[in-house]
This record gives sequence, structure tokens and C-alpha cells, in this order.
Amino acid sequence: MTIDAVYLVQLTLNGIALGLLYALIAVGLSLIFGVMEIINFAHGELLMLGAFAMAFALPVTGLLYWPALAAAIIAVMLVGLAMYEVLLAKLRPDEFERSILITLGLSIILIHLMQYLFTATPRLVDTQYGFDGVDIGSIRITWTRVIGAGAALLAFAGLYLVLRRTQFGRAMRAIAQNREAALMVGIRPRVVARNAVVLAAGLCGLAGAAIAPIQLVTPYMGQFLIFKAFALVIIGGLGNIPGAIVAAIGLGLVESWIGGFFEIAWQEAAVFVIMIAVLFVRPDGLFKRGGMRVG
Amino acid sequence: MNALLEVSGLRKSYAGVHALDGVSFAVAAGSITGLIGPNGSGKSTAIDCISGFQKLDAGKVALAGHDITGRPAHHIARAGLMRTFQTVRVYERLSLRDNLAIANQQFDAATWVDEFFRTRRYRAAVETSEGRARELVELIGLQRYWEAETGILSYGQKKLVALAAALMPSPKIVVLDEPVAGVNPSRIREIETALCELNRAGETFLIVEHNVEFITNLCHQVIVLDQGRKLAEGTSAEIHTDPRVLEAYLGMTPEMAEAEMRGAA
Amino acid sequence: MKLVAAPLASIIAALLLAALPLLTTSNYIIGIGISALIFTVAAAALNLIYGFTGLLSFAQLGFWGIGGYTTALTVVTFGGNFWWGLVWAALINAAIALVVGYPTLRTNRHAFVIVTLTFALLATLIARDWVELTRGPLGIPNLPPPQAFGHRFATTGQFYWIAWAFSVAMLGLLYALCSSRIGRTLIAIKQNEPLVRAQGIAPMPYKLAAFAISAAITGAAGGVYCFHLGIIDPLFLDFYYMQTFLIIVIIGGAGSFWGVIVSGIALSALPEVLRFSADLRMIIYGLILVVAMFVMPSGVAGWLREKKLAEMRDQLRGALR
Repeated sequence: MTIDAVYLVQLTLNGIALGLLYALIAVGLSLIFGVMEIINFAHGELLMLGAFAMAFALPVTGLLYWPALAAAIIAVMLVGLAMYEVLLAKLRPDEFERSILITLGLSIILIHLMQYLFTATPRLVDTQYGFDGVDIGSIRITWTRVIGAGAALLAFAGLYLVLRRTQFGRAMRAIAQNREAALMVGIRPRVVARNAVVLAAGLCGLAGAAIAPIQLVTPYMGQFLIFKAFALVIIGGLGNIPGAIVAAIGLGLVESWIGGFFEIAWQEAAVFVIMIAVLFVRPDGLFKRGGMRVG
Repeated sequence: MNALLEVSGLRKSYAGVHALDGVSFAVAAGSITGLIGPNGSGKSTAIDCISGFQKLDAGKVALAGHDITGRPAHHIARAGLMRTFQTVRVYERLSLRDNLAIANQQFDAATWVDEFFRTRRYRAAVETSEGRARELVELIGLQRYWEAETGILSYGQKKLVALAAALMPSPKIVVLDEPVAGVNPSRIREIETALCELNRAGETFLIVEHNVEFITNLCHQVIVLDQGRKLAEGTSAEIHTDPRVLEAYLGMTPEMAEAEMRGAA
Repeated sequence: MKLVAAPLASIIAALLLAALPLLTTSNYIIGIGISALIFTVAAAALNLIYGFTGLLSFAQLGFWGIGGYTTALTVVTFGGNFWWGLVWAALINAAIALVVGYPTLRTNRHAFVIVTLTFALLATLIARDWVELTRGPLGIPNLPPPQAFGHRFATTGQFYWIAWAFSVAMLGLLYALCSSRIGRTLIAIKQNEPLVRAQGIAPMPYKLAAFAISAAITGAAGGVYCFHLGIIDPLFLDFYYMQTFLIIVIIGGAGSFWGVIVSGIALSALPEVLRFSADLRMIIYGLILVVAMFVMPSGVAGWLREKKLAEMRDQLRGALR
């Protein structure tokens, strides 16, 4: 089998774009876990809502990409806020199983509500960029993919700045590292947790909105992605943000390469097999849990 | 001294801090020995390492002549060393009776096969266990709570339950981690009396405590730790007059200590 | 933890349930009865690992599916009979549970939940994609009725008795386990694992045993159920089943043996009552989950227990004055 260099480049770029997408989801999960010690089972649905929001916003903005993207992100952040205030605010850090069941319930409600209201028919989303893109050799990379990847990178840069440079970011890291000490210093866990959830929701909304023009939008789309995000968070180490990003991009590349040369079925199983292998060797994940290390 | 528990050269560090820096001491059989020291002196770490809840970097621990260094916690318990915890641990949603029954479960001869067929061995084991449990419950004065969930008890009462549970299998030595911390003064007297009685009946105790009066009243032998090292060792009287201890821990001059001792006598 | 055991009452209830096919000829109702019995068994197995031992395992769905496929394949592909199929379902799932459980139970609770979830997903993927073995999305239809001593359990009514006998046996086994010292130790592990270790008990063998037993029972239950359906396909591993088991345990009360049984029998009629729309039914399930977590996190049994406890507390405190 001769390996076409151009094909490999395409697979690699594809893999990176896919990885950035996974990273957006996994980082949000890690963030919420680091601050609240809970795993948000409704995380995939936040992404799905972002995609639907984008699908509805685009016709309103005349297919203009950026305003629709902004609207979608804000919409999902509002949902995240509501989710926190109504469901998660009263949870204590040791109520792990209860948090899972609550967010699981929410996930079920959201999926079937969207399906009931909008049916499961996959939707095709069109933007101002249509199918235009950049041509490298014989392959085309659509603008929507490029912008999506670019937006993700911007988001991560922004997140890094927030966590490192702002008070709010430092508060989040403090709580993730040592909850009691943070409380004693006067950090208010409820405020920090709420902001973390809203931030994570924003990342998901961005991911969903970015995917919408690239993939078909269905109520179940979050479900396929979320299980991989769980596995990534475990591989990277719970609460470890750089770990999650590295694992995510790694996975994107692995899946892209596998998908390019083997059957799709193995692509799906890849992440889970890796996760179990990692857990066998290093039960805490590949990267140590450093209470939300940022760099 | 007939040493029941012997530790030598205990070393443990984390994050660059030497929590234990070469600690050695021995607990005589039949004694009540105290382990005191300021915060950060390594008392709790020593207990955790001895009882198998943390791993030592170096050193040896021997119980009745047998090496138990580095064994898992449940092995050490089975070997005859029972311990309590600083933040009291009981099975909150189980009755007092069940709490004590579980504490003895590993030490009777009955297996699950015996239980399934309700053999004579099983029934005898349950009877013996229950008898001992009732004795201990009477000793700590909580008879009326026999069937009640231990969760409804007060903090001090739970500490008594933890003590009783540790005593159920008649272990070789009981290690108490701050048995009277957070307990109100009247209850402390009760615990002192209970421990004295048990000791007269032959039980050996190693007690980690901050409450100096408690240690003074009870202990034959006291070991003082400071910053991961053994600072001094001796009877309560000797410790009270040891200038190193006074300076590091009690914060008194010899005159003040003398006055204190006279006051307590 | 007091198990509200009324041996006589449960024997009577069991006999009444056995009589169902004699009381009605409606296959529909008998079918609900079969579902009720089998789902209750699966929920009781989940209760063992989650309610008693405190480990939230989504792997049950995987065991259910693997059990179903094992039984089906034993009969259809390997020429065995239904009964051996059930035995293999139990044994294979127990073995898988031990292999998956050993590394997973050594990690923390968070990882355990995710790994078990992943396992269930992998099982679904395999069911769909390993076409040589499982026949893929088409599944294995036309599963033959079980036979014993020359008699074919061909009607729904006759199959009901298989389901009934199976349920009574499994629930009896679980009862013996939960009310024994082993059950008590599992409860202790859930409540305070360091204390258990300090009392000379090694937690790992207990957790592994609970995981393996719940896997075996759930697998066998899956085997029985797919023969009731007459077909097995990847939809057998739909998350819907996991949600059903979970809701039964939560409403009944995680850790309460009888609570889960009553809840299982009662709630199995629920999907039929909520027949109007699949989506609305699921939304209601989701709402039940969320609301239960806020209003009755320990289920009905837990709520009853709290009341009894409050009474006892008042009595003891009041008597002091």
C-alpha cells in the first residue's frame, strides 16, 4: 500500500480539527470536574443545543457565520446557567452518584424534548461560506472547518489567559486544588462553580455551533461524542486540562489515521480500548491530576 | 521491658517535607503509652504508617516479634493491632449491635458456608461475639442504643463506640488516634475510667493525644515527637520536667510545670 | 440496616404471582408480567452492586446484552439448549466482570463509573459490528421456545412459568446474600471503607464478588428475556434498559432489598401506562430521575426509614430528659 503524502496530510489536518473539537468538549468536562467533582452527563446535550441554536440562528442572520456563532454560544451559556442554578447548585462535593443521576436525567429530558419538538430528522446547516474552502493539492478544506478549528484555538488561548491571569481563574484553580483551603481564604464555591459551568457550557456551545455546518444536526449527536469525551478525561487525568487537550488531539489524529486506512468500526472502538489500556497501566490517567494544572 | 510493639528508624516524606525522620520507640506489653507532640510532629503519620494506612519510606515495625512493616492495613489488623481514627469512624447507618458484630467478623472461626447452613460453629461464634459486644457496650454505658443507628449518637458517644469496636476482637494492642479530641470534659472522665479498667484487665494501649492532662493521668510511659523526630521518652513526671519538651511543646519553664503538677496531684 | 422481612407474606406473594397465567388469557398482560419479573431481577442485581456496595455500575447493560447474545448463540449457533445457554450467560459474564473489575475497582469511584459506561458502549458496538458472531444489526430472529423433558414451553403463559421460577430462584439467592454477613460487609464497605480495612477485612474480594455475582445474574436475566422477545439484536443493548433498571432501584431505594422488588413489580407496568409517545415516556423517565434525586434520593424505602429513625431518635432523646 503506497501512502500518498497528500492523503496523509489531509488525514492529519482532519485529525487535528477533530481533536480540537474533542478538546473543547473534554476541557469543559474537566473544568466542571475540577471545580465541583462531578461528571456532567448532560455535557453532550449542551453541544447538541449549540448545534441546534446555530441551525436556527443562521437563517435569522442571513447565513452570516459569526453573529450566529455568537448567538449560539450565548444561548448555550444561558442554558448552562439555568442548569447550574436549578439542578447543580445544591450538590455537595461528595454526592458523586447523585450528580450523575441528575445530569443523566437532564440528558434524557433534553434529547427527547428536542426529538419531540424537532424530530430526529438530521438537519443540514448552511452558512455564508457554503462549501468554499482552501485547496491544497487535490483536496479541499472547507472554510467552516478552518474557522471551527481557529475558533477552538482562540477559545483555548482565552481559557489559558482566564485561568492564569484573572482572579476568577485563580479562584477556580484554588478550589480544584484544595477546596477547604480555598474556602478559608474566602473564595465562594457557589460563584466559582457557577462560572465554571457557564464557561464549560460556552465551550460546548462553540463546539456544537462549529460542528453544525460540518456534520448533520440531530438530537443524538451529543451522545456519540460525549462518551469519547469521558474516556479522554480519564486518559488525561480527571481535572487535568492540558492532559485532556493532549489526549483529545491525540485521539483525533489516531481516529483520523485509523479511519483513513481501516474500517470505521475500529475507529469507534479505538478510544475505549486506549482508555482501558491506560487505566491498567496508570490508574490516575496518563497525566497526574494536579488539581487543574494549566501549563 | 517486654516490648509488644517496636518501631525503628521510621522515615516518611512527602512533597519534600520529612514527616518522619528516623523515629524509634517501643510500647511495653500491658502498658498505656502516650505519643504526644506539637502539630506537624508526625504523630498521625506515625500511626498511619504503623497501622498500614500509609507506606513508609524506610524503617521497621514489629508486633509481638513479628515484622509487619509495609503490610496492608487489614493484615495488620488481623495480626492484632486495632486502631481508631482522629475523625471518628463508625458505620453511621448500622446499629450499635451491627457495628460491633462487624468489628469481630474477621476474627471468629465461622465462614460463609457455616453461616449458610447455620452450623453449630456459626451459632457459637455469634453467641460469643454478641456476649462480648454486650459487655463492652455496658462498659461504655450505651446499652439503650443497642438497636439504634449509631448515626444518631453524639460525637463523644461515637468515639466510645469506635473504642468498643476496636476492642471487640481482644487485640494485642489498641492504637487510639486522639480519642478525646472534640469530646466534652465529663465524657473524657468516662473514657479515662474505661481505659484504666481495660488496661487492668490486660489490654495494651498506644494513645496519640493533644490533651496533656489526659495523657498525664493515664499513661505510664510517654513518647514525645517533634518535627518528625523523637524528642524525649519517659514517665509523665519525667516528661513534665524535661527542658527540651517544655520548650518545644508545653511552652513552660520548669517552675510553671512544677506548679502544674502540684495542681493536678 | 433492617430488612423488612416477612417470609410468609413473600411466599404468598410469590404464589399469587405464579398464578397469573391461570387468571388471564391475555398474552399482553402475561407479557407485562414476564417483563416485571425479569426487570426486577436485573434491578435487584444492580441493587447489589450499587445499593449495597455503593458502586454505580453502568456495566449491567453490557452484561444484560452479552447474556442475551450468549444464550441465543448457544442455542442457535452452537446447538445447545436454553438452560445451558443461561448457565453460559452467567459464567461468561462473571468472568468478564472479574477481568474488567480487577483493575477498575482499584481506581477511584469516578473512573469506575466511566469505565463501566464505556464497557456497556463497547458491548453495543461489538453487537452491531462483529457481524460474523452476532449477525450485526439484523440480529438473531426466531429464537426457539425452550424445551425440557420433551415439553416445549411454546406459549407465553408457559414461558411465564420459566420466568417466574427463574426470578424466584435469583431473588432467593440475592436475599440470602444480602441478609448474610457478606451483605452486611458490603454495606459497611459502602459506608466506611477505611474502617472496614482497619477491622481486618480486605474490601477488594467483596467488591469483586458483588460485581461478578451481579454480572452473572444480570446476564442470565438477559438470556431469559431475549427468548421471551423471540429475537435478539443490538437494540437489546439500548440504554433504555439501563435507565429502567436504574429507575427501579432509585425509586425503590438503593440498598433496600424489598423496596427494589416492590418498585420493580410496580414500575414495570409503567411503560405500558405511558404508551402514548416514546419521547414523552422518556421525558417522564428523565423527570422522574431528576425529581427523585431531589425529593427522595433514598427512594421510598429510604423515606420510610428516615421516618422510623426520626421516631427512634425522638424517643431516645426524649427519655433522657
